[in-house]
Amino acid sequence: MDQIAWFAEHFIGLFNESAKSLLGLITGILPTLLVLLTAMYAITTWIGEERVTRAVKWAGKYSVTRYTIMPIIAVIILTNPMAYTFGRFLPEKYKPAFYDAAVSFVHPVTAFFPHANAGELFVWTGVSAGVLKIAPESYARLAVLYFLVGIIVILMRGILTQWITRLLINRGGHQETFKRFDEMYEAGQIQGAKTEGSVL
Amino acid sequence: MSYQAVKIVKGRGGWGSGLTLKPTETKNVVLSVTGGGIHPVAARIAELSGAEAVDGFVNNIADDRVLCAVINCGGTARIGVYPKKRIPTVDIYPGEPGGPLAQFITDDIFVSAVTPNEVSLAEAGAVAIGHEPAGGITAAAATAAVEQGMAPKAAVQATGFMGFVVKFGNAIGYLINTLLSSGRQAVKLTLNTIIPFMAYVSLLIGIVTYTGLSQWIANAVTPLAGNVFGLILLGVIVGLPFLSPILGPGAAIAQVIGVLMGTQIAAGSLPVQYSLPTLFAINGQVGCDFVPVGLSLGESEPETVAVGVPAVLFSRQITSPVAVIIAYFASFLI
Repeated sequence: MDQIAWFAEHFIGLFNESAKSLLGLITGILPTLLVLLTAMYAITTWIGEERVTRAVKWAGKYSVTRYTIMPIIAVIILTNPMAYTFGRFLPEKYKPAFYDAAVSFVHPVTAFFPHANAGELFVWTGVSAGVLKIAPESYARLAVLYFLVGIIVILMRGILTQWITRLLINRGGHQETFKRFDEMYEAGQIQGAKTEGSVL
Repeated sequence: MSYQAVKIVKGRGGWGSGLTLKPTETKNVVLSVTGGGIHPVAARIAELSGAEAVDGFVNNIADDRVLCAVINCGGTARIGVYPKKRIPTVDIYPGEPGGPLAQFITDDIFVSAVTPNEVSLAEAGAVAIGHEPAGGITAAAATAAVEQGMAPKAAVQATGFMGFVVKFGNAIGYLINTLLSSGRQAVKLTLNTIIPFMAYVSLLIGIVTYTGLSQWIANAVTPLAGNVFGLILLGVIVGLPFLSPILGPGAAIAQVIGVLMGTQIAAGSLPVQYSLPTLFAINGQVGCDFVPVGLSLGESEPETVAVGVPAVLFSRQITSPVAVIIAYFASFLI
């Protein structure tokens, strides 16, 4: 009998503990998140994709902006995973580096813009909830630093991946192919996959 | 080679009303996007239908050649990518419409929890996707409906003060409607993605805390997460080119570890300062599972995918620990 009682007590205790944690998440995070998501969706609708596209094309020209401003705008406006579609404005040789930069920003961005990757919030929310609990005064600074260090990291990743991509192109003997891609890009043909199909 | 129509139904715990697919001369590739290799489900579909199964992780196939995509995503991102392109999608996990692309995941092109047993030859007379005879009629009807709807609109053309009122009213209407639809989008995303994740994370945390497992994990992880070299080592491990694509999907692992680290920081067993390098150490693998899909979203040529996948994976091996070091130095500002 004692064993049954013990089991019953701990069985329900387990779920009560889980429920406590769920309640904390729902009352602590959800209300802010809902209004913030609503505001961000509305703002991105108002700004409109056309204007963003123009800004992104400009940012794609220089390597410093290509791996900072371009992925940041892409991730905030188009959100994960559609942000990677902005890669189509770049020459083929820069696409892997742009992807690397953009995908590496989808978590630091959630510190301020949770809508940009709302499906994967808990990398940031999980860690920051702990900080909020024990040292609430550090929370805002942690958010700012996560965002800023994120920008430094994506710039570094973009530049290094661009370099490694060039290395692999040269090593694999793809120079001719990528030279042709560059010429097509120069000629104003930006929509890669639609021009040649699968030639591999 | 003669092509056969195949029928794919949902498996246990799955979603969708089933697909009937028939390859044609130009549309004959079963794309297996399951983290490398041909998944048995893709192989089975190819075998029965006479199509060709291709590993989507190393090859890039033009969208219009793809008969269907076989994916392994219970998460949020990949699950919607192919439905958005209207490519019939077979998920081997019990996925449901969720994530930012939920609206594209409809039951006419998506089926989940599929195992090779759910794939069979279609009975004679079944209509395959893309072979509907009634297509022309619906298109005509739709055009007619649009034309009817457009006609009265031209009549609203006021000038002067009334024109201003109408314009003002329209602007307010636009404002409010955008906000309302944004709210709806936010609630939908919360219901589809965020609350389910909260429920599952809570259950996990509940079990881990109540059984004392969290203390055990804390004891195991603290030496690693409690000093900068351990964190850098963690960055090196998650960046290993053969591990990073496995650790990536849905950021599930990074998120669970993030929550666990958070509880450790809250309990005071990890210093607050280490929260910043931790955020980068547990997430060095971000997106490594998604490179071919991400590149094809950027309309990359097949050659770009071929060099891009190794380029990102090799680069990550270096940048993952370096990011931890940068974050460590930045963390003195906390």
